[in-house]
Amino acid sequence: MPATDCQEASSASFSSLGFSILSRRRDQVHSMESPHEATAQEIELEAFQKLVAERFHELAASNSGELLTISWTRKLLEVFLCIQEEFRVIVFNKKGFLNKPPMDRYINEFFERSVKGLDVCNAIRDGIEQIRQWQNQLEIVLCALDNQRSIGEGQVRRAKKALIDLTIGMLDEKESNTALAHRNRSFGRNNVQRDRKSFGHFRSLSWSVSRSWSAAKQLQALGNNMVAPRPNEVIATNGLNVAVFTMSYVLLFVMWALVAAIPCQDRGLQTHFSVSRQFLWAVPMLSLHERILEESKKRDRKNACGLLKEIREIEECARHMNELIDSVQFPLTEEKEGEARNRVKELGMVYGAIKDGLDPLERQVREVFHRIVRSRTEGLDSIGRANSHD
Amino acid sequence: MADNGEQKLIAVARHIANTLGHTDNMTDDILKIFSNFDGRLREKLTEKLSDEDPRDCATLEHTLKSLDRQISRYVSSDQPIWSDSADASSFLDSVDQLISSIRDWTQLADDKNIAACLYRAEDLLQQSMFRLEDEFRSLVERGAESFDLTRGESTHLDFSDEDDSGEEDGDDNEIPVAHPITDYNIIIDALPAGTIGDLQEIAKRMVAAGYGKECSHAYSTCRREFLEESLSRLGLQKLSIDEVQKLQWTQLEDEIEKWIKAINVALRILFPSERRLCDRVFLGFSSASDLSFMEVCRGSTIQLLNFADAVAIGSRAPERLFKVLDVYETMRDLLPEFELIFSDQYCMSLRNEAITIWKRLGEVIRGIFMELENLIRRDPAKAAVPGGGLHPITRYVMNYLRAACRSRQTLEQIFGESIAPPGSNVDYRKGDDRALSSSLAVQMEWIMELLESNLEAKSKIYRDSALCSVFMMNNGRYIVQKVKDGELGALLGDDWIKKHNAKIRQYHVNYQRSSWSKVLGVLKAENNSTSPNGASNGLIEKLKLFYSYFEVICKTQSSWVIFDEQSRDELRISVLGTLSPAYRNFIGRLQNAPDFGKYADRHIKYGVDDIEARINELFQGSGSSRR
Repeated sequence: MPATDCQEASSASFSSLGFSILSRRRDQVHSMESPHEATAQEIELEAFQKLVAERFHELAASNSGELLTISWTRKLLEVFLCIQEEFRVIVFNKKGFLNKPPMDRYINEFFERSVKGLDVCNAIRDGIEQIRQWQNQLEIVLCALDNQRSIGEGQVRRAKKALIDLTIGMLDEKESNTALAHRNRSFGRNNVQRDRKSFGHFRSLSWSVSRSWSAAKQLQALGNNMVAPRPNEVIATNGLNVAVFTMSYVLLFVMWALVAAIPCQDRGLQTHFSVSRQFLWAVPMLSLHERILEESKKRDRKNACGLLKEIREIEECARHMNELIDSVQFPLTEEKEGEARNRVKELGMVYGAIKDGLDPLERQVREVFHRIVRSRTEGLDSIGRANSHD
Repeated sequence: MADNGEQKLIAVARHIANTLGHTDNMTDDILKIFSNFDGRLREKLTEKLSDEDPRDCATLEHTLKSLDRQISRYVSSDQPIWSDSADASSFLDSVDQLISSIRDWTQLADDKNIAACLYRAEDLLQQSMFRLEDEFRSLVERGAESFDLTRGESTHLDFSDEDDSGEEDGDDNEIPVAHPITDYNIIIDALPAGTIGDLQEIAKRMVAAGYGKECSHAYSTCRREFLEESLSRLGLQKLSIDEVQKLQWTQLEDEIEKWIKAINVALRILFPSERRLCDRVFLGFSSASDLSFMEVCRGSTIQLLNFADAVAIGSRAPERLFKVLDVYETMRDLLPEFELIFSDQYCMSLRNEAITIWKRLGEVIRGIFMELENLIRRDPAKAAVPGGGLHPITRYVMNYLRAACRSRQTLEQIFGESIAPPGSNVDYRKGDDRALSSSLAVQMEWIMELLESNLEAKSKIYRDSALCSVFMMNNGRYIVQKVKDGELGALLGDDWIKKHNAKIRQYHVNYQRSSWSKVLGVLKAENNSTSPNGASNGLIEKLKLFYSYFEVICKTQSSWVIFDEQSRDELRISVLGTLSPAYRNFIGRLQNAPDFGKYADRHIKYGVDDIEARINELFQGSGSSRR
């Protein structure tokens, strides 16, 4: 009987993830709780799986124009916060249970992973600040070219300088050296010594992590050893570690997506994502993963410092503006002036989107950070207290 | 500048005259009125009156050419303009003229001629601004290079109350040293005063020309680098939260020391200094000042706060308590500075972060105590301490708590106060000075309870219940001693101490009973209705039994320890208190026994003195040290 049960259960698939196993084995399982409570918990855990799946389906429903925009990224973080909150409730309800093996190992592993996520949040905050610097350069360009009666050489030079600073700021550090030298030469300054010092101003802005920190390695460490729970483990923890596994995966994905979108040190995206499609949320999550990976491989985005759509928009309209400026001859023809105004308008829109979006995004990233810490602290407190009642 | 003002005035006067005068005659009349109004104008106006129309291209050309000449000379120069203050003023004058001309001409821009001049003027303005930006930047950088913040930093700056030595270094470049903690008006001249003045002059023009952003950016880039360099010279590493978790404890201790110094220097000296500098350079432009300040200090602040956060998120191993308390207290003491310095709109989030992290540190400290509880609880009752002496865990916990209570105020803050509810059985009459029972006191009581339970479990390992009691006596006594003189005693209260002393006395009694009641029983008088001979023989037997028991006890208990001299004496005295008289009586009875009394001495091995001597040798342990 048991053998058939097992087979049946696994082929009927983890549609509710081993909960079918649980329900079938309710009589046979040496459960720590009465059958009545086990059902309530089952419901809670299943609802959690459904929630995660639903939210990820919503995210995956975005079209390619929306994917990886600031507003989509904010949605992603909202999803995380929502799922995190549910998870917190589940853990809280099971707090007496957390220090019993093997649950204690799973939950502690999870807390360690979440600490790794904190560094990613911090690096992302630094990355957002970097984008803000680009926003400042755009503002200068707009100041130079917008609302002018006519666009003069002076304004164009000013815009050009800002655009060069912007380009350098968006480059990898090693490439900034040569770019900076070019820039100074083209503006007729030949104080070489000063150049070396002011080069520092384009250094990557990272305050929360050391120079050797790597986002790619951090993600690898976060996702290390993340294996779907086996049926016997599920039973031993009454399904709780399935929730933990799910939360871990959500954490990993969200951190990975942030690293993909926003500039940070050593942005490698090779983190391995493989999770059984038996999990309801696996399909939308993996689809998003694939789409983002696709985006990163596109010819024009391969060397991008971040996949955020708005970053590409900055690159594009900066490029257009540069082309325009380089092709301009004074005095401007009416046609050129019209073109210029269009470019300025384009740039103005990109600038506006970034200006409106960055602050709320940063606040959300901070919120994610704080919630992760709080949830971990609560968990550790619960475990500590549970230990004290043994 | 006077010249400039005058020219301006004249230009305006002419402008007014021309606009109002519909005929040349009217214009003349108006100009005459102006001339009469102010003598200075008369000359200038009448001079140019006849031959120039301000809208005449020639006039504009003239002005423009002159400005072009003046400005281009400077803009194309390879030498820094600000290396010569006369050059600098002259350049600034020209720029001012240019800015005001542009302002004037902008109003008349419909005129094609004026528009053309305006165009060229704006070009000229842009060139000036680029040059000003360069000059600005090199002034900021140059000023910073000559100022070495940190020579002697690591040895001299002192924030403790105790060190009042006023060692001064003669070198101008070093910060005056070691002031009492209240005196943080250590003004660092972050840049030479002359430089600051220059920067202010340049900033004024750049903001006026709409180049404020560039100016602010040039400023904050350089100052930020300088600030971060200064901090890194204090030895502070940039560490991620994960990296901090991976540090060995001793390494982390070092980092914490460095961090405490760095954040104090930053919040009390460096940041206020930067604030003052921003305010002076961007005098009159508070928004630019606020923004620049934030850009300069944000990175370093984040780095400093991040480290504290990493500590708060870290392990809760009890050994960390004292260092984590240091971090907590540092944050707490610096919060007023945070409030003060980061008071503007841009920096508010930093201030809030600081508060959040401070609270988190409180949480982790509570967590550390929880870990301590678990540590005590989990300490296994395996190997018995030989001789029933002091157990290492007692020593560890009591010394730990005593050390912790030195920071009682901070801990009370962390654990919060909880007032005893009305109607509780707190008796004020008994002078219960814990009338307001604090959560900290409750926490301490709980830990003591856990320790005692653990000790009781350990005591059960001794098969001899007398040794059990000795063990409990020893450890209990140590506990009370450590509690008594100090904050811990104040927290737990006199009642607690009394109760525990009572417990110790009970163990004392238990010891006596388990060890000696049997022996004493042997010496007890019996009303025997046996024959006198039998009675005598019985006594002898009893004596022999007594001796055998006595020998055994002395042998067994010779290795037992009472660490505390007073307790040792007390115990010996109380044993002897019952044993000596009982033995004396018994010997007396024996010696006075009718038949064999005179032979009794043959069997008496020990006098009372000997017994006493043997007892007085007990509990020294095997020559091991006390405590």
